[in-house]
This record gives sequence, C-alpha cells and structure tokens, in this order.
Amino acid sequence: MKIAVCMKQVPAYSEGNMDEKTGVLLRQGLVAISNVYDLPALETALQIKEQTGASVAVFTMGPETAEKVIRDAYACGADSGYLISDITFAGADVLATSYTLMQAIKSTGDYDLILCGKQTTDGDTAQVSGALAKWLEIPHINWVSRLVEVSEKYIGAEYLMGAEAVTARITYPCLLAVEPSVFTPRMPSLKLKMQAGKKSVNRIGLIDLEDKDSGHYGLAGSATKVKKIFPPKRTQKQPVIRMDGKDSAAYIKKIVDDIM
Amino acid sequence: MSQQQIIKTDQTYQEFLIDESKYQGFAESISFPVSEAEILAVLAAMREHKTPVTIQGGKTGITGAAVPLGGHVMNLSRMDQCKEHEVYENGTVLLSVEPGINLIELKKEIGKIPSEKDFFWPPDPTETSATVGGIVASGAGGLTKLLYGSIEKYVESIRLITSDGNIHVLRGKDELANVIGREGITGIISQLTLKLVEKPDQTWGISFFFNSHENAEDFVDRILQEKPTADTAKVAAIEYMDRSTIDLIEARKEFMSSIKELPDIESEVSDLVYFELQGEENGIEELAGQLMALAENHNSDSDKAWAVSGEMEIERMHAFRHAAAETANLRIEQARRQDQRITKLGADMTLNNITFGAAIRQYRQDAKKAKIKYCIFGHAAGIHLHVNLLPESYEEYRKGIKLLEMWARITCKEGHGTVVSEHGIGKLKKTLFRELGSKEYLEECKMIKHQWDPIGMINRGNIFDWKEDIG
Repeated sequence: MKIAVCMKQVPAYSEGNMDEKTGVLLRQGLVAISNVYDLPALETALQIKEQTGASVAVFTMGPETAEKVIRDAYACGADSGYLISDITFAGADVLATSYTLMQAIKSTGDYDLILCGKQTTDGDTAQVSGALAKWLEIPHINWVSRLVEVSEKYIGAEYLMGAEAVTARITYPCLLAVEPSVFTPRMPSLKLKMQAGKKSVNRIGLIDLEDKDSGHYGLAGSATKVKKIFPPKRTQKQPVIRMDGKDSAAYIKKIVDDIM
Repeated sequence: MSQQQIIKTDQTYQEFLIDESKYQGFAESISFPVSEAEILAVLAAMREHKTPVTIQGGKTGITGAAVPLGGHVMNLSRMDQCKEHEVYENGTVLLSVEPGINLIELKKEIGKIPSEKDFFWPPDPTETSATVGGIVASGAGGLTKLLYGSIEKYVESIRLITSDGNIHVLRGKDELANVIGREGITGIISQLTLKLVEKPDQTWGISFFFNSHENAEDFVDRILQEKPTADTAKVAAIEYMDRSTIDLIEARKEFMSSIKELPDIESEVSDLVYFELQGEENGIEELAGQLMALAENHNSDSDKAWAVSGEMEIERMHAFRHAAAETANLRIEQARRQDQRITKLGADMTLNNITFGAAIRQYRQDAKKAKIKYCIFGHAAGIHLHVNLLPESYEEYRKGIKLLEMWARITCKEGHGTVVSEHGIGKLKKTLFRELGSKEYLEECKMIKHQWDPIGMINRGNIFDWKEDIG
C-alpha cells in the first residue's frame, strides 16, 4: 500500500499581520512549526505502515524552510518526502492549494490512501482535504475519529456527524481527513532523527507538474482573497481570587445579589 | 500620594499573600506601581510610618521570599516594559527592561530587536511566568546553567531604589553582588540591563528512558565521568526524572496545554534522563551518537528515545520538565486544603564527593524508611536533585521536615555540598540555613543589609529574621 500524507508548515503564533494588498499572512520572522492537526494524520499513516508494511510519503507545500516538516516526519518514520515549492505557488487559497497538491501528488505516482489533518492553524478552513479529493476524483471522509479496519481493498473508519458517529468502509484509492483524537502523535525517535538529516528530500516545482500554466496556481489561481486578519481583542487582565469552597460560594453570592 | 496607588488588602488580594511554596502571609496594603516615580511615592508613604515593604514579581518562588508577613506588598508585575536596546559592533547586545517583565514577554521583545543574528537571555528557569527582577534577585539559573554559568554574567547593570528613596545605578561584579541572589534584602530593582547572547545554531532535546533504576543511575554516572564532547556542539543540560515525577505529570497532563499532546510514557519506564545539546548540526549529531551508544550500553532502547529540535519543540520539553515542579506543588496544594500548615518540602542541595547513583539511592531509601511519598527530579550535573516530599497529613509533613534536616546535616558534614542552591533561602529555609548553611554568607548578607537598608524596611524576613536585621 502507498500512503501520501499532506502536511503544512505554519507560524507557531502570529499577530495576524497581513499584506494589505494581497491579503496574504506575513510569515517572515515568525517561528515555524508543523501544523499540529497534521501530526495525527502522519501518525495514522505510520500506524498503518506498522500494521501492513505500507510506504509513507509526505507532501508539503511551502518555502524552503518547510523542508523541516519533511525531516521531522522522517524522524517519526516517513519513508519519502516531497517539498512542493515555487514562487508561483505562493498566496494560494483553498482552490489553488488543493489543485497544486493534486498536481504534485499525481506527478509522483498513484497512492492508495491520502491522509490529511482536520485543518491548519493559520488558514483554519478545513476545506483543502475535501477539495483535494474532488480534484483527484476519489471518495473521501472527513472528521475521522477512529480507524476500524485496514484491509487490502478498503479501509474502515468511524467519523463524526454532529452528535452521531458513523462507521463506513471506503475503497481505495481514497482520502481521509482525521480528527486530532484519532491517534496521539508519536515523538520523533533519536535513531530516525539522526538518519533524517542524511535522507534526501525531493522537490517539486511548476516545471514538474503536468499543468504548467502559472495562472492556475498561487494568488493568480485563487478564487478568494482574504479581506482582513486580526487577532481577538485582549481584554484587561483580571485578578485571580483563590478561596476555599464556602468562602468562594459566599463571595459569588454577594456579587450576584449586588447585580440583582 | 494617590489613595488608588495604595490599596487596603481584602479578600480580593488573597493571591498576593502566597507564593508557589504555598506559604501563607498577611499584609495591610498593596500597590502595583508602574514607574520609578510610583515606587518612590509608595516607599515614601511607607517610610513615614516605618511600614515594612515586601517586593513581589511573579510570585513563582518556592521559599516564601515574596510572601509578606505584615506591612505593605509592592507588586512590580505591572512594570513590564522593555526600555531600550543597544547592539554593539563587537556583537554585544544589551537590553534594558523593567523588573516585572516575565520570560515569555522578554523573549518576544528580544525577537523584535533588528539584527541579522538571533539572541536570547541565557538564564532559563522553566517557570516562564517568572519575572526578570525576581530571577535576578533570587539568582536563579535554569536548565542550561550547566553550559552558560551563573546569572551574574548576563546582567550589565541594575537600578536599585533603597529604602531611603535614593536610586543607585549598579555596575560591575562587586556592585551587582549586592543585589544578584540577595533575595531583595538591599532594595527594589526598578530597571535591569541584560546582556544577551547569540542563539546557538541548533538545539536538540533528547530523552532516554530506562526500565531499571540501576541502568539509569549507572548511565548518568558514566556520562558525568566521561563528559562527552564534540568540536562544534556542547551538552547544555542534563536533567533527571523518576517514575513518581512522570506519574504526577501524566495525571495532570490533560490540563496543561503545552504538554497535553505528548504521548504517555510506557509504564515499564522507571527513569528518564533528558539532554539538551547546542551547536552546529554535525557536532550535535556526533554528541548524540556518543550518548546513544552509552545509553544502549545501559539497556535504554534508542528507538524509543525522544529527539526533538526547533524552538517550539525545545520549549515543550522545558514545559514538560517544568511540569515536574508544578505538579509536585499542586500535590502540596491538595494536602494544604486538608491542613493549611503544610507547605512545600523540597530539597535544593548540590552534592559533591558522591556519585549520582549513590545520592539518589540514599534519598529513596530514606524517604521509603520514613514512609513519605516523594518524587525526584533535577539537574544531574552537580548532583543537584530536587527531592520533593509529598506529605498527606501534618504528621507526615513534620516527619518530612526532619528528613530534610537530616539530609541537610549529612550534606554539610565535611563539605559534602551546599544546603541551599538555586531556590534561595527566603523565609522557609532560614532556620535550616542558619543551622547548616554558610556562616560567612549569612554574615555577608547581614553586613550588606546594614549598608543598604539600615532601617530594615525592604523584604523583611528574607534570609534572616528581621530582628536580626536591626540587631
């Protein structure tokens, strides 16, 4: 079985500063990390690998610094990695991102299973996975909370539909977007981390894709534009009051009585 | 003097009468100055009636140094601004800050300094809400003190306000020695100029797991003996945690956002040893290889050893290490709810003339004999272990005090180590230090107290009883 995992490098934190003209988040100078929602997706892939002997390829779209995402994935047990990087890919929205991922994945071969995280902490749309599945014309399930079974022809997964959990079998090739609760991500192993530095990272640019029309990628290929990004307003700090049960109950009652 | 600046303490201000030691104090009034002018105004008002003043920062200390025993509390946490920085041609960077800035905010401010290189301030207590003023006053070190040395190296100058209302600018080792590590007995720090250091090229955090105490102890002793080195990287920290500590953390992990995603550690693991390596990647890999080989020789599975790099991941490892102290303190808090006389019981002793293995075996044996629950974590280098006794009743607490005193006596006997190290003396360790600590250090502190605060107004009760201040 061949598994592809889509991962992204995101800012660890941000004040939400954006380029006023393009609506693109400014990332320069910010500490970058692997998107925390993608780690359970990688872990799912590695769990399946341990069970079935599958190979795991990681795809990440971003600047050169995003190579770290792949090296960190190697330190957890991924077999190969592809950095999808080109100036024309920058500023992509969900449509352009999913299209680019589809083109890049297809350029490297066929995969039985594509795994994605729930969403990213910077974009927050949770739409790329579904859009990618649409481009690849494969069935997909979002909100996967549990893997039920992994067989040669299909994968069984439990996913959340509001208050109900649904169990479904889905044949390969298919795409699953997993919830953070699906598996606790493993820590990178020392042995694998020491090997990770020496492993090669493949690069995919516009020139490597079947569709080389730059107008289909990045900002040019985006159907939406971000109008504004802003952090929530900080309210004033309030003192923390520590009391035992009885005293705090009386204190709260007094506040309520004063209001009433 | 504005009435709003000096506030009468009531139930709303209970949290300012206690620090992380859970030692409960009392005070008649409190203030939150935001400038030197406000400090001076409050001080003048207190001086009028000779009211003692206790200075607080983040209240993260564990010896009661920030806990008032009457009088006025001056909390400096709102003096948290960055003032200015200077970047010199030789690469030195100085940053002036107010004392109430905590390590989280300090890091952000350092990140804003325009420079081609990245800098940081080396003292790194794992409690990131600790304020710079408090860190300097207590002389705290942090995980990487092993590599970077004492805090004195990273303080350029201090503005100190003394009880007579004068402002002193202190520079140089001798002058700064009147403030650094003196637990606030000489005056109020109103501003500090910090020396920053260039960040290492890379930092790796490696955790080895052991399934037997013997393997872990022998491994640490071997590391401390052989001192692995590489040309372009160094060991910056060696930290130890026992299973009790791991269990305390895992029981509370889900409530700690920075570490809740860490996987549980296998139940067979009895000990964890954490290394932090800093330098160039090839040097780090060379060092990591040496550590891995030694760990494997002591039956640690390097396939299961954790290895992380990058700023956020290293911070997560620090948060994990900090959780050791935090969860031990929480356990004390729980016991304290049953009996308010219970406070933190933690050893802060550095030992010499003894191996790591011998020291930890003795601690375990004695605690088991006394039938008190405990957890052990700390800095393996320097045999600086924080044995935290976890009494569940006042009776156990009293036994715990006797146990700490016994260890202190053994430590001091024939110079086997120091009784009090990085946590300071504060109020809770005064008796212990008076009996077993350095007499020279005590006399030195009294002398500088007479020199800088002859009326004994500031931080009365820290290091020695206030009656001794004016005696």
